[in-house]
Amino acid sequence: MRAARSIRLVALREIMERGRSRGYLLSLLFTLLLLGAGFVLPSLLLNDQARKIALVEPTPAGLQQAVEQTADAYGVDVVVSTLPDQAAAETAVRDDQVAAALVVPADLSGPGVLIVHQSARSDVQAIATGAVQALRAAGVQQLLTPPQVTALEPPSASDTTALIFANAGIILMFIGIFSYGTWVLTGVVEEKQSRVVEVVLSTVRPRDLLMGKVLGIGLLALFQLAVLVGAGLIAVQITGRLALPPTTVGAVVQLLAWFILGFALYSTTMGFLGSLASRVEDASNASMPVTMTATACYLASILLVTQDPDGLLARVMTFFPPSAPMVVPLRTALGAIEPWEVVLSIALMLVAIWALFVVGARVYAGAVLQVGSRMRIRDAWRARS
Amino acid sequence: MLEIRGLTKRYGAVTALDGASFTARRGRLVGFLGPNGAGKTTTMRCIFGLATPDSGEVRWDDAPIDAATRLRFGYMPEQRGLYPRMRVADQLAYFGQHHGLSARDARARGMAWLERFGLADRAKSKLEDLSHGNQQRVQLATALVHDPELLVLDEPFSGLDPIGIQTMTDVLRERAEQGVGVVFSSHQLDLVEDVCEDVVIISRGRVVAAGGIDELKAASGRRHLEVEVAGSGGRWLDGTNHHTVVDRDGDRVKLLVDESADLDTLLAAAEAAGEVRRFSYEPPRLSELFMEAVQAPQPAKPEAGQ
Repeated sequence: MRAARSIRLVALREIMERGRSRGYLLSLLFTLLLLGAGFVLPSLLLNDQARKIALVEPTPAGLQQAVEQTADAYGVDVVVSTLPDQAAAETAVRDDQVAAALVVPADLSGPGVLIVHQSARSDVQAIATGAVQALRAAGVQQLLTPPQVTALEPPSASDTTALIFANAGIILMFIGIFSYGTWVLTGVVEEKQSRVVEVVLSTVRPRDLLMGKVLGIGLLALFQLAVLVGAGLIAVQITGRLALPPTTVGAVVQLLAWFILGFALYSTTMGFLGSLASRVEDASNASMPVTMTATACYLASILLVTQDPDGLLARVMTFFPPSAPMVVPLRTALGAIEPWEVVLSIALMLVAIWALFVVGARVYAGAVLQVGSRMRIRDAWRARS
Repeated sequence: MLEIRGLTKRYGAVTALDGASFTARRGRLVGFLGPNGAGKTTTMRCIFGLATPDSGEVRWDDAPIDAATRLRFGYMPEQRGLYPRMRVADQLAYFGQHHGLSARDARARGMAWLERFGLADRAKSKLEDLSHGNQQRVQLATALVHDPELLVLDEPFSGLDPIGIQTMTDVLRERAEQGVGVVFSSHQLDLVEDVCEDVVIISRGRVVAAGGIDELKAASGRRHLEVEVAGSGGRWLDGTNHHTVVDRDGDRVKLLVDESADLDTLLAAAEAAGEVRRFSYEPPRLSELFMEAVQAPQPAKPEAGQ
C-alpha cells in the first residue's frame, strides 16, 4: 500500500539520519556509563569488603576451610564466624551482622540451608554451594545438591525495591517521552523552516509524514530504553546488589508497552503543535501545553500515587490518557491494580491516540505549509490545504 | 498534456485563483508568467495536491490527476529546501524512493544526476556544506531523479549565476525534447523569451494571455520601427502619423507603430529626407506583451488579487 510505503520511508530516514547522529550515539553511551557508575562501580568497590558468613554448630569437619578455600578461588574475602545454634544465626542475619548463615548437617547427610535476610548475594551463594559440594564430594556421598536458600524476609511487591524500580521506570518514561518527543517537535519545525516539507508533501500525505516521523523516532527511543533497562537488569543480576522483585518481568514488559503508548500520544501532539511554529525558537512555546500536562502528571505520579496506589486519584489518573502511561506501570509494579483497570486504561489510551492523530494530522496538514507568525490551532484546522 | 481547468482558490477574503485555465503540451517549454501574487505558486501547489482548489480541476494526459499520477511529476518549489544535514546522495535516493523507485534504482539515478552536474565527489557531503549554487543543482536533481513526465519549477532561474542558468536551460530543453512537459515560472522575461516556446501569463488569478510566443507577438498590434536617416535629425517624421515616438537620438528614431500604419508611406517619407541607413521593423518584446496583458483593464473584482 502506498501509505505504508511512505510511512516506512519516512521512518527509515529518521532512524538512519538520527540513529547515526552524534547526539543519539552519545546518549546511548551516556546511558551505559550512567549505569556503570550507578551499579557496577560501587559493587566493584564494595567487593573489597569481606563477606561475613556464619557457620552454625554443629558443623561438619573442614567446613570452615572449605568455605575459605572456595572464597579464595572466587577471589572474594570472607570472614567466617561460628554461631552456636540456628536461632542465634537467624538473629545475626536479621540484624545484618552477617550476610548469610550456613547450616549443614555434621554428617553431611544433606546439602543444608543457607539463611539470608532478603535474598542471597550471588557470590555468597556461590561460595556456600562450592564449599558444601567440595566437602560432600570428598566424602562418600557424590550428591552435588546445593544448600537450600531460605530468606527470612523475602522481598515482596510492596517492598521498597519494587518502589525503586517503579520510580525508575516512571523517570525513564518521562525522560524518554520528553527527549524523543522533542525530536519530533523540532523535526517538524526544521522541515517547515528549511521548506523541504513542500518537496516531501508533493509525494507524501501529511498524515503519513507525521506518522512516519513519530514511528521512526519512537523506535529509536524504544531501542535506547530497551538498552537501558536491559543493561540495568543485567547489571543488577551480575552485581547482586539489589534483589529483583518477582514482578520484574511483567513490570518491564508493561513499562515498554506503556512507553510505546505514551510516546505515541505525546509525540503526535508535539508533532502537530510543532507545525504551528515557523521557527525552531518558537517550537517550545508551541509545545508548552503538552510540557505542562506531562510534568503535572509526572509529579502527581511520583509524589501522590506512590503514596496511595489504590486511592481515588490513582484510579482517576489510570483512566486519563496523558497520565496513564506513568500511573499504570507504577501501580502494576506496586501490585496495586486490577487487570480490568489495565485493559480499560489501554483501550482509552488507544482511542485517545487515534483521536489525537486524526485531529493532529489535519492541523498539521493545514499548518505545515504556512509560513510567517505562529498559527492558532483553529486556523490550521480550517486551513487544511 | 497538462490541462488546468477553471481553478479557483480562496484563502479567506483573498482570491488567489479566479478561474485560471491553460494547457501545457508535452515537449514544449512553457513559461508561466505573472506579477507577484498573481497565483503562480498556488497553481503549482494545486497541481501537486499541496493546495485543494475550491473548484476546477487539473488533468494530465486527458485524465484527472490523483496521488499516483503525481508520483510521475517532478516539483521544484520556489522556496528551495532539502534536509540541511542529510548527505546529498542519501537525499536524492530518499526522494527517488518516494517517487516509487526501488532503493537501488533511486541511488543509481541520483548518482547519475550528481555526475551530470559535476557533483559526484560531493555525494557524501552534507547538503549544508555545499555552495549555494551546488545546493540549487541538488534541488534540481531532486526534481529529476525519477525521470518525471511533467516538470513544474517555481522560479528555477532565480539566484543562478550564468553557468547555472546555462545548465538549467540545457536540462530543461533536453527534458522537453524527450517529451516531458516542462512548466516553469520566472520574472526574467528576456530569459523566458530565449528559452520558451509557449507562455502563460496570469494576473490576479486569471490567465490573461497564453500560447506560443511567436503567435502572441504576431497577434499583438504593436510593432517597433527603428529608422536612421543621415543628416535628418529625425525631422522627416513631421507630418506622418499612426505611430508613437519612443526615442529620438540624432538621426535615429525609435517608433512604436500601429498595425494600421502604412510602412511604405513611412519609408517614402524617410527616403525623401535623405539616405536611409537603417529601417528595421521588429515585433514587440515579451516584456511588452507581458506589461500589456497584465495592465489591461479587467472586469471589476474589488476583492481580487493579493
